Amino acid sequence: MTCDAPAPAGAPAESAWRSHGPRRRSTRALRVRTSAALVAATVLAVLLVPPLVQLDQQAVDLAAKLEPPSWAHPFGTDDVGRDLLLRCVYGLRVSLLVGVAAALAATVVGTAVGAAAGALGGWADRALMRVVDTFSSVPHLLLGIFIVAMFRPGVWPVVISVALTHWLSTARIVRAEVLSLRSRPYVDAAVSGGASRWRVAVRHLLPAVLPQAALAAVLMVPHAMWHESALSFLGLGLPTHTASLGTLVQSARGSLLAGQWWPTLFPGLFLIVPTLALAGLAGAWRERINPRHRSELML
Amino acid sequence: MLELRSITAGYTRDAPVVRGVSLTVAAGESVGLLGPSGCGKSTLARVAALLHRPDSGTLLLDGAPVRHWRHRAPRDQRTAFGVVFQQARLSADPRLPLSDLIAEPLRATGRGEDAPDRVAELAPAVGLTPDLLTRRPHEVSDGQLQRACLARALVLRPRMLVCDEMTAMLDASTAAALVAAVEDYRAATGAALLAVGHDRTLLERWCDRVVHWDGLS
Amino acid sequence: MDHLPPVLSVRGLSVRFLMPGGRRVAAVTGARFDVAAGECLALIGESGCGKSVLASALLGLLPGNAQTAGSALLGDLDLLAADERTLARTVRGRLVGLVPQSPAAHLTPVRTVRSQLEETVAALTATRSRAALRTAAEAAAARAAFPADHLDRHPHELSGGLAQRAATALALVGDAPLLLADEPTTGLDRDLVDRTVDELRRHVDEPSTAHPGGRALLMITHDLAAAARIADRIAVMYAGRIVELADATAFFGDPGPRHPYGRGLLQALPDRAFTPIPGMPPELGDLPDGCAFAARCDRVTDACATQPPPGTVACHHPHVPEDVRA
Repeated sequence: MTCDAPAPAGAPAESAWRSHGPRRRSTRALRVRTSAALVAATVLAVLLVPPLVQLDQQAVDLAAKLEPPSWAHPFGTDDVGRDLLLRCVYGLRVSLLVGVAAALAATVVGTAVGAAAGALGGWADRALMRVVDTFSSVPHLLLGIFIVAMFRPGVWPVVISVALTHWLSTARIVRAEVLSLRSRPYVDAAVSGGASRWRVAVRHLLPAVLPQAALAAVLMVPHAMWHESALSFLGLGLPTHTASLGTLVQSARGSLLAGQWWPTLFPGLFLIVPTLALAGLAGAWRERINPRHRSELML
Repeated sequence: MLELRSITAGYTRDAPVVRGVSLTVAAGESVGLLGPSGCGKSTLARVAALLHRPDSGTLLLDGAPVRHWRHRAPRDQRTAFGVVFQQARLSADPRLPLSDLIAEPLRATGRGEDAPDRVAELAPAVGLTPDLLTRRPHEVSDGQLQRACLARALVLRPRMLVCDEMTAMLDASTAAALVAAVEDYRAATGAALLAVGHDRTLLERWCDRVVHWDGLS
Repeated sequence: MDHLPPVLSVRGLSVRFLMPGGRRVAAVTGARFDVAAGECLALIGESGCGKSVLASALLGLLPGNAQTAGSALLGDLDLLAADERTLARTVRGRLVGLVPQSPAAHLTPVRTVRSQLEETVAALTATRSRAALRTAAEAAAARAAFPADHLDRHPHELSGGLAQRAATALALVGDAPLLLADEPTTGLDRDLVDRTVDELRRHVDEPSTAHPGGRALLMITHDLAAAARIADRIAVMYAGRIVELADATAFFGDPGPRHPYGRGLLQALPDRAFTPIPGMPPELGDLPDGCAFAARCDRVTDACATQPPPGTVACHHPHVPEDVRA
């Protein structure tokens, strides 16, 4: 007999066990950690740099205009000598604010509409989905431009414009999910147990679709940031003095033709890197909420 | 207590899965409905429990015709039926611990304060131990989950139980335990039973009367 | 048949899962059995007793947090020690044919039965030409009694029985010496259960050029009637251990099961006493030191606080023929 008591009689000795199954953890863990670190760095930079660093992003220094990256200005300077690193951080702050606010608003609207359509069914479902179809028949950007054009340039019109053009896919995802859940026997059991329509929707259907909706929201943040940049790049989004990643790229167009690459490259990287990091985190989360991975014990 | 008269029901307009079926269950009676899989007997069970609106036909509950199904049915009519389905996994909300799963009908009908007492009373009746009640569905076996689903069906003290292939996925001992729990409840309350299944031996042993699907329409 | 070596020889097979927080779940402990050519061994037990884990271990389909010990020899190959490459290239389909639990889910919904059979034939045999693939697929369908005029249908157009035959046809393509049927009758009604298991039995008995003694079948099921219909021998599993290995006629007839658990299972059948075994099986993550069935057993004594000796009946107080007569 072995001396360690917990092993039940007849169980093999500790050395006899061998492991199986795929061991692919290393790269995935690295991917998740890198993404998390980048997202954390982005959020910290955006939240902490402006209040802590008492530097004026609008400080113009015409003597030092369009300088290439150096120790004094790691990202170089723009055409009026403003420090691009500082401009990029402030720009990311605005872009991220627009992205998060628009994604949240779009997800709330989309989830509400999708859940209502799926849970109510019948004519309510048909009417709501026709509204969705109508909205999606107009090209995104065109509708977005139309909405921004109705207001004075500023952050909130851009948020509204991006949100109103992006709730459609969430509504469709949530509705499909609710419809597939609605025919489950557990909903029948709830109905038979006296649950009202509202209770079935709020207690049994909505919580089951929330992980999906939240995932869609996270994936929508970078998408919304790109839309904001596109609107600003077209000169329709934020006023040009407000640094956003879109306005930065837009105002740097001219210097790119003159061979000055840094005013476009760095704002572009600030757009791409957080996007990839967020997508990496969202992907890892999607793997986690996949029920196949959730039940580790296969009994 | 329950009378189904020439019920036709289905999920698409042109292809009903139940055609002109009639069936009566008297108060306190237990009826076994025997039929092959895919014949439409589960749909009939859902019609009987007011969960699926038939395309045509009449359903009499205590002699009065029923006009509304699902959410439109008056709550006291809906809750007169306790239903248990074949697949416990799909019949349980995956996020609710078993004690909440069992108590859910009480909370839905505004009697949440009775929940601790009723759960404590029902758990031993269906053979669930207290440590299982705090677990979620994915942490228990099919048999344990089906016990919880039966407890949920009994929690509102229904006047009639509708068991649709309740034991088809279970081993012999768990099946016998669940049938015994149903019979104990019926002996105590005089509730009626409609047991739907494909196992002749089981239904003949369990029910007062076994009707074959082919003889109903 | 005793002169032939068994097709599958399992010795001391154990599977445990490492759970988050360092907990260990002993899903299978010390399983030992043989399956010979032309023989059907039915592994019975309730859901969660570890029988599906045992099947997954034999196919190398355990999740990443599982560990195994012991051996499962199929010819000279130890299934538990084989790497994924060997399992994929030489074992699955070629040495072990899997008859799945839910055939409708096992078949690809968007392709016809014919195209799936042809693909499997191409993957498992040297057949390459179009015409030869077609003939081979039709022959495979005929072996499983799948009607040729249904070959061009999609899985959702098949009845439950035909879907089961299509899945069986796929399992037979590689002409594997061992068939592994994991709950092949779940959710089927009685007539269909009888037909499905009768066909499995036919594949066990049918001699082929590759297997003159017939195939070996390991059927995992909770359906005692199905096991009684076709099995030669019965292995009863409880809480991760095989507690009784018995001849099927003796188990279901006279003198009956010797382990109190097997006896209790039979007594729970609706055509027998229809009385359940009291209580529930223990958690696999929290097994008692002694006999795992002691808490539910009517023959329990102090001796049951220790693990019963391994053997054909793992019990301190097995029923012996004299008991039954007395």
